[in-house]
Amino acid sequence: MKAVPTYTEQELVRSLKLREQAAFSYLYDHYSSALHGVIQQIVPDPDVSVDVLQEVFVKIWRQIEQYDPVKGRLFTWMFSIARTTSIDTVRGKDWRNSQKNNSLTDDLIPLAGATQPNPIDDIGLRKMVHSLKEEHKVLVELSYFQGYKQDEIAQMLNIPLGTVKTRLRAALLLLRQQVKL
Amino acid sequence: MDIQAYIQSGVIESYVLGVADAQDVAELQRLRFEYPEVEAAIAACEAWLAATANAGAVPVSDNVKEQLQHTLQHEFAPAAGTTAANQTSLLKRMNKVRYFAAASIVLLVVSATINVYLYQKYHQANKDYIALMNERNTVVADNGLYQTRLRQMQDRMQLMAAPGMLKVSMPGTPGKEGNLVTLFWDTHTKDVYVLANKLPKAPAGKQYQLWALVDGKPVDAGMLGDCTDLCQLKPVLKAQAFAITLENTGGSPTPHLDQLYVMGNVKS
Repeated sequence: MKAVPTYTEQELVRSLKLREQAAFSYLYDHYSSALHGVIQQIVPDPDVSVDVLQEVFVKIWRQIEQYDPVKGRLFTWMFSIARTTSIDTVRGKDWRNSQKNNSLTDDLIPLAGATQPNPIDDIGLRKMVHSLKEEHKVLVELSYFQGYKQDEIAQMLNIPLGTVKTRLRAALLLLRQQVKL
Repeated sequence: MDIQAYIQSGVIESYVLGVADAQDVAELQRLRFEYPEVEAAIAACEAWLAATANAGAVPVSDNVKEQLQHTLQHEFAPAAGTTAANQTSLLKRMNKVRYFAAASIVLLVVSATINVYLYQKYHQANKDYIALMNERNTVVADNGLYQTRLRQMQDRMQLMAAPGMLKVSMPGTPGKEGNLVTLFWDTHTKDVYVLANKLPKAPAGKQYQLWALVDGKPVDAGMLGDCTDLCQLKPVLKAQAFAITLENTGGSPTPHLDQLYVMGNVKS
């Protein structure tokens, strides 16, 4: 049996940049399920979410040179890739078409958490979002889960950008406070 | 700027979760270098995000990792440690090979030099040996020759000193005084032996012939022939004197007295 190497975050990043398979294996073993959780909250379909997860790891592998430790932790960077890739999948034409077929009553872009019974509603951020009041919840849905920019949300909801910004910050702060770590 | 109010506004959460707009991000990037509290707050929020994600982790089936590694199989570098180790060992091996090659060449040169030297030594020794062998053979042959001669001489001494042996001294005739022949006559066996002490070599076509003078008449007593020292001739039953003449090869029935070389009387 081969010895499994352990890495500090610095060593891991350096080894990934050296294209070491062992480092990739370690990265996957340690982060795949957490990132999968992040993806599933945005892409509920398990088959699609697994595809997204693969896409995310390929991106991480191929874009590791772009990761700058000064800007934040490795996980934060990977989380960002996972979230944006998930949103790209959700907002992609194919996904939107299939969603329309499934839920004909929705003429707006569906709110993943609000429009469908979601088996993973009770975990992670998604669970915390449900505890928020409606005016906060919709902002988190549109920005975090659907990737709309704040000015787009302001237009969609017909409220001032400053208000969107303030409410969103407050909502996220509340979310964080619900899980004191 | 009230930095605590800024930190507690929720802007850091929006940044970490990726929902902050460009303006907010730019401001935060500036402030994080300016205020360690902002940097610390970002780090704390990142830790919270990681922990939250871990809490919401969803297991993935094993084959996904295999698929990924299959997809990326050509993008992995050969394991660095192994490569370095291989290169090191290869380098070590090459150094070893070089060392042995150099050592081999040195040994070869030394060996070749020694070979040449030893070959020359061997060649000389062989020549010396052959010369010695030849010398030895010559010595052995000479030795055999001397032994034979010694035996002959001993035999002749025995012969000459034998009892009943009569010695007849035959000095040169007038005009040939330098010549001398000694004759030994065995009174028992009647054998005659002749020793040419001083006698010129017979010319070609000529031989010395011995005559026994019996009652005044010369009787053929044999040819000296090629005999060089003590020669045995025909037995002579009776004689008062002996003489030697030079005759044609094969001898003559009667002596040519003008060719008389030596003559001696038997002392009785």
